[in-house]
Parts: sequence; C-alpha cells; structure tokens
Amino acid sequence: MTMPMPQIELQPTRGHDFVPREPVFEIRDLSVSYGGNVAIRGVGLDVYEQAVTAFIGPSGCGKSTLIRCLDRMNDLVPGAKVEGDVLYHGKDLYGADVDPVEVRRRIGMVFQKPNPFPKSIYDNVAFGPRVLGMKGDLDGRVEQALRRAALWEEVSDRLTESALGLSGGQQQRLCIARCLAVEPDVILMDEPASALDPISTTRIEDLMHELKRDYTIVIVTHNMQQAARVADMTAFFSVEVDEATAKRTGVLVEYDRTAKIFTTPADKRTEDYVTGRFG
Amino acid sequence: MSRALKGGVFKGMLLFSLAVGFLMLAILVVTVLKDGLPYLDLALLTNPPSSDPEIAGARPAILATLYMGVLLLLFVVPIGVGTAVYLEEYADKSRWYNRLLEINIQNLAAVPSIVYGILGLAFLVRGIGLGRVLLAGAMILTLLVLPTVIIAAREAIRAVPDSIRQGGYALGATQWQVLSRQVLPAAIPGIATGSILALSRAIGETAPLIMIGAVTYISFDPSILGPFTALPIQIYSYLRLPQEEFKLLAAASIVVLLGILLILNSFAIFIRNRYRRTW
Amino acid sequence: MTMRISFQEQLDELEALLRHEGDLVLRSLRAAVEAVCSQDTELAEEVIAFDDDIDAQYFEVEQGIELLLARQTPVASDLRLVLAMLKDNLHLERMGDLCVTIAKLTKLTQGLPPDDTLLTGFREMGERAEQMIRVAVDSLESRDQELAESLLDLDELIDRANRRVVNRLLEIGGDQETREWGLRMILVSRCLERIGDHAVDVGEQTAYLVTGEFREFTDASH
Repeated sequence: MTMPMPQIELQPTRGHDFVPREPVFEIRDLSVSYGGNVAIRGVGLDVYEQAVTAFIGPSGCGKSTLIRCLDRMNDLVPGAKVEGDVLYHGKDLYGADVDPVEVRRRIGMVFQKPNPFPKSIYDNVAFGPRVLGMKGDLDGRVEQALRRAALWEEVSDRLTESALGLSGGQQQRLCIARCLAVEPDVILMDEPASALDPISTTRIEDLMHELKRDYTIVIVTHNMQQAARVADMTAFFSVEVDEATAKRTGVLVEYDRTAKIFTTPADKRTEDYVTGRFG
Repeated sequence: MSRALKGGVFKGMLLFSLAVGFLMLAILVVTVLKDGLPYLDLALLTNPPSSDPEIAGARPAILATLYMGVLLLLFVVPIGVGTAVYLEEYADKSRWYNRLLEINIQNLAAVPSIVYGILGLAFLVRGIGLGRVLLAGAMILTLLVLPTVIIAAREAIRAVPDSIRQGGYALGATQWQVLSRQVLPAAIPGIATGSILALSRAIGETAPLIMIGAVTYISFDPSILGPFTALPIQIYSYLRLPQEEFKLLAAASIVVLLGILLILNSFAIFIRNRYRRTW
Repeated sequence: MTMRISFQEQLDELEALLRHEGDLVLRSLRAAVEAVCSQDTELAEEVIAFDDDIDAQYFEVEQGIELLLARQTPVASDLRLVLAMLKDNLHLERMGDLCVTIAKLTKLTQGLPPDDTLLTGFREMGERAEQMIRVAVDSLESRDQELAESLLDLDELIDRANRRVVNRLLEIGGDQETREWGLRMILVSRCLERIGDHAVDVGEQTAYLVTGEFREFTDASH
C-alpha cells in the first residue's frame, strides 16, 4: 500500500543558511590611524554581493572608521592614514589611478543623522544626477529613486516643497532615495536608524530587505538586535587596550553568518557582547 | 535681599542701560530731524553746491557716495568671499602661511581708518599715480572693510553644517560642486548681510577719503577717474560755513545720509530674515 | 501597513512546516492502524522507515524556531506563537514515535491470532485519534480556543475505548498465543490513547496562545 500524498506545499526557501555569492569588497589587513592613533587594525574580511553585512561592536571599536574606508570618505579627514588593501570587484580602491569622486558615485552612503539639503525634495534627489551629468529623463530618475526608497507615495504631490519639512523617518528615506538616484552598486549605511523612532526604524529595515536584491548593503549599527534582524553576515569588532600606552584600537573578532553569530558564536568575546554581558 | 527683588533690580539696571543708549540716539535723531527736515527738498538732492544757500544742494556728494558704494561692493564681495572660501574650504590650517593670513586679517579689522588713508595716499594716489580720484577712494574703502567682509563670509560658510558637505561628497560631487551648489548658496544670506553692513560703515567714513584728497567743494557731477567728494565731507564743509542756513543744510544732508544708511540696513535685515533657515 | 515582512514570512513558513509535519503524522497513524488491523508487516516496516521523514521535519522546525528567537526577538503574541509551536513540534514528533511503536508491535504479533472485536475497536480509536490530530492542528491554524477545548470530549471517547479494550482482553483469555497477542494489543491501545493525550496538549498550547495563560484542560485526577 502506498502512502497518500501530503496536502500542503512546502515553502521552497528557508533563509536559515545564507549562501554567500561573489565578494564585492575584499579587505586585507586594513588599518586606519588618525594623526598617529590607530583606530582600527588588521581587518580582513569579504563583503558579499546582494546581501546585508553588518558591523557591530561597542563604541570606539572602529566600525564607522572601517565603513568610511569603503567609499574613501576618510580621505576628507585631515590626518587620516589608511594602510592595507581594499579591493573592490578585484581592483585596488586606493590605487593611484582611482578617482575618489568616481568611487563615491558607485558606493553611496547614508548617514546617522538624516542630512537632506536645504532644497526641495525634487532637488535633493536630482542633485546627484545633476552633478554627475547623468543624461536622460531626470523626472523619471527622481520618481524611480523615490519609489525604490518607499517614499514616492508620501511625497509625490509635494516635490517642490522643502525637504526639511519631512519627518525624521521620511528624511532618512529621502537620503536613501538621493543615494539611489545615482545608481550605485553598494549602499553603505552608518547607523541609519539610530536617530529614528521604532516605526521608522522598522520601515528602514524592511527597505533594506528589499534593496538587498539589487544592491550590496553594509550597515554599521550599535543595535545588535537590528543586525540580527536584517543582516545576512555579521562582523563583530571589539576594542583592545594597549596596557603600556592605554591606547584603544579596534579589532575584528568574528565574522560569520548572522545565524551563527547569534546562536553559537565561536569567540567568547562575541558571546559576551551579543548576550549583553559585556559592553 | 530676596531673590525676586534681586531679579527685579537686575532687570531695572538692564532697562536703564537700554534707556541711556536709546535716549542718546533719540536726541541725536530728533535734533537732526528738527533742524534738517524743513530744509529737505528736491533741490538738496539735485542741485550742486553753491554759495547761495537757497539753491545749494549736495548732488555731487550724493552721487559720489553712491558710485563709491557700488564700486565697493563690486570689489569687496569677490575678494572677501574668495578669501573666506579659500581659508575655510581649501586651506590646510596647520600650514604656517595660512595661520599668518588669519592673524593678519584679524588685525587689519582693528587698524584705524586714517591709516588706510595714508596707505592709499602713498600707494594709490602717488605710488601708482592714480591721482586723487573716486576710484582710489573706492579702493581704499574696500581695503578698510575687507576684513569685516571676510570675517562675515567665513562665519556664514562655517555656519553651513558639515553634514551637508558630507552628503554632497558621498554622492560623488567634487569639492567645487559641493561649494558652488550647496555651501555658497546656503551662505548667501550671511555674506549679503555682512557686505551690506560693511557698505554702511564705509559710507560714513571721512578720514581716509580726506587723506587721499577728496575735495570739499565740487560743483560738477563726479566721474570715476575724476576728483570727487563724499556726503560726510560735504556735510562737514557745510558746517564750517558761517551762514546759519548752511548749518541747516548740513542737518538736512545728515538726514539724507541717515536715510541711505537706514535703507541699507533694513535691506540687510530683510535679507537675513528672508533667508534664515533652521538646520 | 504590514511591516517586518521577513519576520512575518519566517513565522508563516514555520507554521506551514508544522502543518506539514501534522500531515506526515496523520499518514503515519493511518498506515500504522491499517497495519495492525490487517496484520500487514510490510506496511509496518514502511511506517518505521517513514518516521525519519517526521524526525527531519521536527529538526527543521526546531532549528527554525531557534533562529527565529535569536534573530527576531519575538514578543507578545508572536512569542506565544513561537513557544506554542516549539511544544507542538515535540508533541507531533512523539505522536510519530508512538505510531512507530504500534508498527513494531504489529511486527511482533505477526502470525498470532487476532480478535476481530478488538480490531474494530482499534479502527475506531484510530479514527478518533486522527480526528483529534486534525482538530488540534486546525485549532492552532485558526487560533480557535473553543475548537481546542473540544478535544477534551474527544479524548474522553478514546479513554473509554481504551478501557473497553482492556475489558475485552480480560474476557478473551484463551491460549498462550491469544494472550500474547492480547498483551501486545494493550500496548497498542495505550499508544493510541497517548496519541490522543498529545493532541489534547497541542490544544492546550492553542489556548495558551490565545489567552496567554498556561492551563491544563483538566487535572490529573481525571
């Protein structure tokens, strides 16, 4: 006698085991110092495409410094020195022939405090395409960017109004739209939701979930639950204090699938941090 | 003494100080208006000076003041803003020559105006042989108020939050694009206000103009490369004439001068309020 | 506006996995009862092998819940749902093991003379147990507390059937083979009755999910 067939269909994807694709960034032995103080050292990891990678760790561990290396924003800080290698699609990001302006076009950044320009909503989103001389239908680009940032519905009837009149969560989504308008490859987010209320935060997290289909996303967050929710891969950084000089330097402790970091982390420091036992 | 009483006494002292200052100004204005208003007629504005008080006017002086004002703005705004932009955006503040530049500018603002007159006489009138002309007067006044404009422009540029610049850079804009499209437009109100206030001060200057040879009696309309006078000088010269009517004409000219200053300052306030924005 | 999309998707997935596990258990039960009543040892073997599938489902649900708790930190009704699913997963897996026990007992009693009255009784108990599993799983899906509480009455019926089986066996008596068969069959009856108890436990989880209170439907004296 044969077994009767089951009545329901099983869901095909599981989302438990993240399968990394191609690496977008390959970071090797990266160290950054500001005027002689080493902020972070010896970082080695790969950032994978079409995924969300999170950098977590206590304050001062250098995670913001690290993410700012990925779009060469550290170049703007006087006295900042970057050593080691960052390969972007196999090419040295800090090569002599690389134009940082071009780097920032392809690797966008969203900041902790929403920073819309004091212009209209339209002009905010159009700024990038305009300064980069992108041809084509500007109105279309603006609309598409706003749609992708899940903001179009709320602002389509007031594009000429000042961006400063939007709420915090809307402003942050506007900044994301601004970033999307230049058609980047990677979106870096430095604590994107820490200045927002919980509902806006959840909206941004849902947005990340959608955006990762088409972009590579790297986020820095001091909220590890957020990393647990949104990230496919998580890197945990900690602070090492030099006993002799009392100088603090950030180091990479563990980098793995988020599922693993939050269920069975390999390093005790990681375990202490995610369980909240030790800052 | 009880706290409330102390608070009241303090408040009283503040009001007293306000009253003293205000009273001085009021006495001045009222006196001038009382004497001058009856003599304020179209003839004053359109006629050249003459020995007959009935038809004497201050036309050349008024025109010269206006010409110098325009020239002043044309010179001081580009130079002042340009210097401010260099110091704020491009200069490496740790370099010695930039620090020297800063110190110089701060000091120049404190130099007595007559020193500028001597400078003008030595270098412009005689040195390069410009002669005692209106252009030289405008150039001297430019130098006189340049430090003020530079300082005002620097403040305005500094007031633009760095997050705006970061946002611009992160989108792939060049330094020049960020400056011209974000920073300077946002700094315009501050720059405009500073420039207009500098202009108001310059209009009232007498000593340097006398040093470089402004004449006290001129009956034809001034030209840029010709002899000239200015409203304050005209007022002074009228005051020195024995006839009583000329003194009243001087009062009327003062009213004209005050009127010009009032218009300029109101314009500055208008611009400041119109373009004030909260970040 | 729906938010926390990926979280909701994960929850829905787990519920679907659990429903599927319930279906697998039903299939196993039906086959086990059929094996006993027709004394079909081959079918019994299939039931034993099939338990691997049930165990695989069990581990998948366990792992899914572990990850969900670690990554999504559910609270309130989400938390109660996850905890209910955690326990229901265990109950379903136990039900599967009990079906395996029934199958093993079938193999052991191969060739021994059966009693038809008892077999009819088993078919009935089997159907009752099936019904209870379905009701239990449905009550979770529809969050229906009343439906869950109706399991108590159904369990009463199984318990009575179990007692009738024991009484019937005392009546049969007979030779050694018949008595051996009878002893094994008491265990089969016990397994079916335990399956019913697990179904009631699943119902209790549904009531917990809805009300937030841990409460047994009945006390132990029953």
